[in-house]
Amino acid sequence: MGLESKLGDSFLTTTIDKVVNWGRKNSLWPMPFGTACCAIEMMATLATKFDLSRFGAEAIRFSPRQSDLMIVSGRISIKMMPVLRKIYDQMPEPKWVISMGACASCGGVFDTYTLVQGVDQFIPVDVYVPGCPPRPEDLIDAVMQIQKLIGDETVSVARMAKREEISQATLG
Amino acid sequence: MSGQQTGTEVVEPQEPMVIQQLRGKFSDHILTVIDQRGELSVVVDKDASFQILEFLKVDSNLSYDFLVDVTAIDYSQMEDVLIEYGYARYMLVYHLNCFPTNERLRLKVPVSEKDLTIKSVVALWDSANWLEREVYDMFGINFDGHPDLRRILMPDNFEGFPLRKDYPLRGRGEREKFNFGRENV
Repeated sequence: MGLESKLGDSFLTTTIDKVVNWGRKNSLWPMPFGTACCAIEMMATLATKFDLSRFGAEAIRFSPRQSDLMIVSGRISIKMMPVLRKIYDQMPEPKWVISMGACASCGGVFDTYTLVQGVDQFIPVDVYVPGCPPRPEDLIDAVMQIQKLIGDETVSVARMAKREEISQATLG
Repeated sequence: MSGQQTGTEVVEPQEPMVIQQLRGKFSDHILTVIDQRGELSVVVDKDASFQILEFLKVDSNLSYDFLVDVTAIDYSQMEDVLIEYGYARYMLVYHLNCFPTNERLRLKVPVSEKDLTIKSVVALWDSANWLEREVYDMFGINFDGHPDLRRILMPDNFEGFPLRKDYPLRGRGEREKFNFGRENV
């Protein structure tokens, strides 16, 4: 790098929160939960033209155990919802959720017997992306909102306690 | 000049070969034949539907070797269709394709609500397996002789048949209070 040679024997001071959050928000590993056309936009976001790697979030992991950002992009039926919940549960803390598009956020135009009217009934959602489907810029904006959220957080246990509270409430 | 005799007789348009063969063998069981712009639909009664499908597949002149789709229609709100087919509420629809000639045929079978069981055609086409499960799932029509007749799209504990016309679009509360236990996963 060469940076070390310039710094020499000097040092800098900061806080644990700042260092950890800096690392977390610039290396998000998304878990794609693509079930419909929003997933196509998500792929476009990851591809060269929009290139989510500019925001450090290009390392898509298809294993929930290696990821910390869930992108719910598409319709979730009542048969799929337990699967989504299980994958969400398998993701290690800390984790964040983007509800991408109208269907994931509120059911969209599918006001029918089989469709969950918003995944936030069952998992805690951090950022909602409006649109049908949202453009890649919207998803990039959502990732940046997540980064902002992470920047405001602390590594203390308070966050997990809050999450557990929501988790219990949604499980009923 | 109108009314002039030209000497040629008016020739009835000939029915396609497959219809002629079906009429010859199952004349009592064929209710209607519709030929709309070359799209053939045959409505047959339920008792002979399996024999007719078997004939269509096995007979070498026809050999409809590909079952494209099995689906159903709920005609409960279409009075004219109900009257035509003895108030049979459902119409089971088979779409057949013949690979050698690329000809298609649609076979329709009225199914009465009183007897919602029809013989499965899995023995003829393996592709009928999941298609018939879907019809069972959505309409509640039972298929006699099906090897594995259970729901395919809806969760196993779902009640009701969503594509029936009397089923409400927003459901009966399933999406609000479905079983969300971890044992369901």
